[in-house]
Amino acid sequence: MGERLLLIEDDSRLAEMVGEYLGKAGFQVIHAEDGSRGLALHGREAVDAVILDLMLPDADGLEICRQIHARSDTPILMLTARGDPMDRIVGLEMGADDYLPKPFEPRELLARLRAILRRRRAGPAPADVLRYGRLEIDRGSREVRLDGAPRPLTGYQFALLLALAERAGRVMSRDALMDLVKGEPIEAFDRSIDVHISRIRAAIEDDPKKPRRVITVRGAGYVFARAQD
Amino acid sequence: MRRLYLQVYLTIVASLVLVVLTAGLIWHFTSGFRPFGQQFEVAGEIIAELVPPVAAPAQVQQQAIDRLARRFDADLALFGRGNELLAAAGRPLPAPGRIGRNGGWMPTAGGPALSIPLPDGRRLVARLPARQRPGALVVAAFLGAIALVVALGARPVVRRLTGRLERLQRGVESLGAGDLRARVKVEGRDEVARLAQSFNQAAARIESLVEAHKMLLAHASHELRTPLTRIRLGLELVDAPSERKAQLAHDVAELDQLVDEILLASRLEATDALDVRDDIDLAALAAEECARYDDCSVAGTSVAVRGDPMLLRRMIRNLVENARLHGKPPIEVAIARDDGRAMLSVLDRGPVIAADARARLFSSFYRIPGGGGPQGTGLGLALVRQIARRHGGDVAYDPARGNCFTVSLPAK
Repeated sequence: MGERLLLIEDDSRLAEMVGEYLGKAGFQVIHAEDGSRGLALHGREAVDAVILDLMLPDADGLEICRQIHARSDTPILMLTARGDPMDRIVGLEMGADDYLPKPFEPRELLARLRAILRRRRAGPAPADVLRYGRLEIDRGSREVRLDGAPRPLTGYQFALLLALAERAGRVMSRDALMDLVKGEPIEAFDRSIDVHISRIRAAIEDDPKKPRRVITVRGAGYVFARAQD
Repeated sequence: MRRLYLQVYLTIVASLVLVVLTAGLIWHFTSGFRPFGQQFEVAGEIIAELVPPVAAPAQVQQQAIDRLARRFDADLALFGRGNELLAAAGRPLPAPGRIGRNGGWMPTAGGPALSIPLPDGRRLVARLPARQRPGALVVAAFLGAIALVVALGARPVVRRLTGRLERLQRGVESLGAGDLRARVKVEGRDEVARLAQSFNQAAARIESLVEAHKMLLAHASHELRTPLTRIRLGLELVDAPSERKAQLAHDVAELDQLVDEILLASRLEATDALDVRDDIDLAALAAEECARYDDCSVAGTSVAVRGDPMLLRRMIRNLVENARLHGKPPIEVAIARDDGRAMLSVLDRGPVIAADARARLFSSFYRIPGGGGPQGTGLGLALVRQIARRHGGDVAYDPARGNCFTVSLPAK
């Protein structure tokens, strides 16, 4: 039998469909239609992950999330409505591992579930891992992983990527980047930032020709995307 | 702004000053015009008994006048028929002129004097000592003192009356500023109290309406998305040609987009303030949004703005989507700083929009006549304008540069 999931969702027809869909993918889904039953089930049954609707008839999903998080390390995937004023940050602060806005692509649900389960299997993430969607930058082991699989980068390229990622959402000029990594030993003969950036893209982008993570701003420099898949 | 309490109070003080001035003036000018008549004739007959006859020697007459002056403690002068001075005591007095010839009050340099005609044609002019008839200044000072006391006493009364109006005004202002819980204390039982009561009722009604609207928005978003999710999941579970499925999935996404834009537009209308104010690098945000599209490039400089990243992201996305749907690639997004403002422009190679269609470009559900081709939700540009204005900026169509939209936001 596959992993057991607890789905806390007040719409029983949607719950049934999610159960069927995830069942096909090898998961076993148990369903609770409100927050208090969800909490009770979570206490009674051994579950590997919780899928939690943000709006429940008897309680705020965020509160249920906080309670589950307080008593266990079961990973939580929150379902919200797109465009909700609730920022994803709030959900993540309350202990959710990820969130998914309705209406979601079924495959997206599967991918996110697998990602949070994989991360949980890998043990508690060290504090010095930067996570952007499917990308993980491990400052401790100086390793970059995409979907959990390590991607090859030289030390200099790692430092460059880290310098960008630590300033995600800010355009960094080439000079500023050079300054930030100037202590790093350079292995390559080519000192140009642009060459290293294209190597980084080859390692971490799904399509290096259409970069979504390290993006060029012509005339200004590079920016590491804050919102990533 | 002149404060109401000050206006009312100054009106009272001005009225008091006017009263004092008028009283003083009347006192001053009526002193010479006292009514005369029988009293003076009677007074003359009595005095004639006390004054020696016309034929008496001047010395006797002088003695009589001296005695009378001492008794009355007044200045006295006795004039003959031809207005010649017969006898006088105390400070000198003028002969009665036109005024006082027939008896009555007459003005003199030392104060008003009384002219009394005697039956034999002589006239006695008497001036009472100054202390017996206070001058206009003394009267004014006296009235002034009363006025001062009234003025001081009126101040707290007026202040209290208008203070309630000021509290009401503060309540209205804070309601207008968005504090829907603003209420005022109902004091007293007059019109002001009734006004405060009406204000409270209106405010309560507005609060409950806005609350209902917010609830509706919050629930509508979720309630509409749950069935959409069911449709999307159901699509995955049914057996159908994958092409058909992809088309249906696209329709669901389109419907979701429409729901999203309608709800966002309503939410922006329902509230005035921004929920979030982060420091945002506009160029970085634009770069992230553009990375989602082929044929879309970003150039320019990094400019920081303050705002809601989710909304600003949506603004840029809508502009790029608009260029993609109604323009022609490639799309160029440029960010520049111009005189304290962040300028973001989205330019494509599409034809410039006709001048008569430009005015309504940013209206909800407006479509350019004969536009044809692929259509969006009709809310994209309206949202762009709402979001830009919410951030203290605006958006404009810039035909001089081609098919180009330019957003200007205050730079940090």
